[in-house]
Amino acid sequence: MNPKTPPAPYQPARLPTGIAGLDTVLDGGFLRGGIYIVQGQPGAGKTIFGNQICFGHAAAGGKALYVTLLAENHARMLMHMRTLSFFEPAALPASLAYISAFQALEDDGLEGLLELLLREVVAQGATVLVLDGLVAAQEHAGTQIDLKKFIHRLQTAASLVDCTIFLLTSAQNQFVSPEHTMVDGIVALSDAVDGDAAWRAERQLEIRKFRGSPHLRGRHAYRIGADGIEVFPRIEGLYARPAAAPPRPDLRPVSTGVGVLDAMLGGGLAPGSTTLVVGPPGIGKTTLALHFLGGCGEAEPGLLFGFAEPPARLLAKTDALALGLRARLDERSVEILWQPATEGVLDQLGDRLMAHVRRRGVRRLVVDGLAGLEQATAEPGRIRRFCTALANELRDLGVTSLYTVEAEEMLGALPGAPLGGALGRGVSISAENLVLMRYLEARSLLHRVISIVKARDSDFDAGQREFAVTGRGLVVDATSERAQALTGGGPA
Amino acid sequence: MKSVLVVDDEFGIADLLADVLGEEGYRVATAASGRQALAQMRAERPDVVLLDFMMPGLNGAGVLKAMAAAPELAGIPVAMMSSLGESTIGGLCDGYAAFLLKPFRLGDVIETVARLANPAPKPT
Repeated sequence: MNPKTPPAPYQPARLPTGIAGLDTVLDGGFLRGGIYIVQGQPGAGKTIFGNQICFGHAAAGGKALYVTLLAENHARMLMHMRTLSFFEPAALPASLAYISAFQALEDDGLEGLLELLLREVVAQGATVLVLDGLVAAQEHAGTQIDLKKFIHRLQTAASLVDCTIFLLTSAQNQFVSPEHTMVDGIVALSDAVDGDAAWRAERQLEIRKFRGSPHLRGRHAYRIGADGIEVFPRIEGLYARPAAAPPRPDLRPVSTGVGVLDAMLGGGLAPGSTTLVVGPPGIGKTTLALHFLGGCGEAEPGLLFGFAEPPARLLAKTDALALGLRARLDERSVEILWQPATEGVLDQLGDRLMAHVRRRGVRRLVVDGLAGLEQATAEPGRIRRFCTALANELRDLGVTSLYTVEAEEMLGALPGAPLGGALGRGVSISAENLVLMRYLEARSLLHRVISIVKARDSDFDAGQREFAVTGRGLVVDATSERAQALTGGGPA
Repeated sequence: MKSVLVVDDEFGIADLLADVLGEEGYRVATAASGRQALAQMRAERPDVVLLDFMMPGLNGAGVLKAMAAAPELAGIPVAMMSSLGESTIGGLCDGYAAFLLKPFRLGDVIETVARLANPAPKPT
């Protein structure tokens, strides 16, 4: 008996959307010949969505037809689209035409509208059709069954002429309305408002239905900028299954750049591990991170993804410390990506970070200021899942990561004390190592001490060490004697 | 009284122009498609046509071509209206007397219609 090769799974033909990030959410694009509803409140970006798909399709050599009912007039719409980078005047009208079908709807109802749409799709040879203003058709439908029949006939015709159809409509109060049951997919665009401040809003996209295709479920952030809509797939969904890199037990520990700390960790950081460095402001967390990046080289590129200190201040700090980091920056084995911790979008930051890591083959990563990530989401509860997904992916890519985390108490959390902020939300679970830096007050002087709270799978030294920030960076005591004395455990 | 035919598929535009040009003293008719426009022109020859370019069925270029082929419609001045630039429209059709870029200002429309409806006498 001859073994048979199993047939390759059926791969339906896809329509790339031309919207950055959306094809990732859709597992490659919409299914060709399908009919999809795009719904959202006024201002959500439905018109840009429809236009971007049309221009993207035209740029790929296809033909598209944009049909309006009672929607923004074409002249004003095109005036707005001209400001966006995807607008290509040469596509008009041969590859992309705009027509109004409202008169046909007014005169002959859904029958007239359907007839016009099919006639124009065939006449123009369009393989993408956008119908903007479905609500007008809904209002002209005598009964719900009329609307369902209209969509059904449109769907049948679309599949026959290989035309993918998008119906743009305002958000519905109820999710299940007649048209929703008929279409192949539903894209919902919405604005989520920050629960605490209720001042900032985050645009979110959700694929509520997608027949015949896997997709990234849940909501994904998107932005509307000079390039139109850009979607940032939710990191937790995107990296739900991390890249399956083979384990590399032969790799040596990665040095923190501070010899005593390496010794305390049992030789250094495990390759691909995640380390949290927790401490109050000014204690030397970023300095420790600069030590860590000082070990970068051509074969071990590094990235500082910073929120805390802007590049100029970091460079000044680097120059003041004899850590050799300036040379690493000059030879570009280390790069700094800085963003203010104001109104970022969490998944956009994750996307930017991961794109840089992949492009440069980064091996040592510093995220300076975990709070910067936390502040970039309207849902702080996400941060643990986000960091876990990121840590898993980075681990499998062989990236050793170090995050600095601001402690909420000036005198630092005591080992064993409850941790606040992102740590309190469980971020530390995704980290293999936890390094604690804190101030101790003794005889009217503030002393700095450092300790290892956690180093997974390592026989680490849990003793505290006093340290100083000097012109050579961090200088850590080789033994715990002085720290013991400060805490009353031995002679001062 | 001079007559104007306004041809545009988009809801509201033809009606708006009809109101404005009516106030200016023109007799105005409207059509929402190229075929409808040709039928109306044949029924009553207008003095000026304001013609949208992108329309379902027969677009502006198709209307101009049909007008050129019909002796009874020859010589009617046409102002083409489009949100595409004139350089684009000019490459797709000819035979129009004026061009109005959408979104237009009503003053420009009134001035264009007046110019086409009342051409300057040719020098002798």
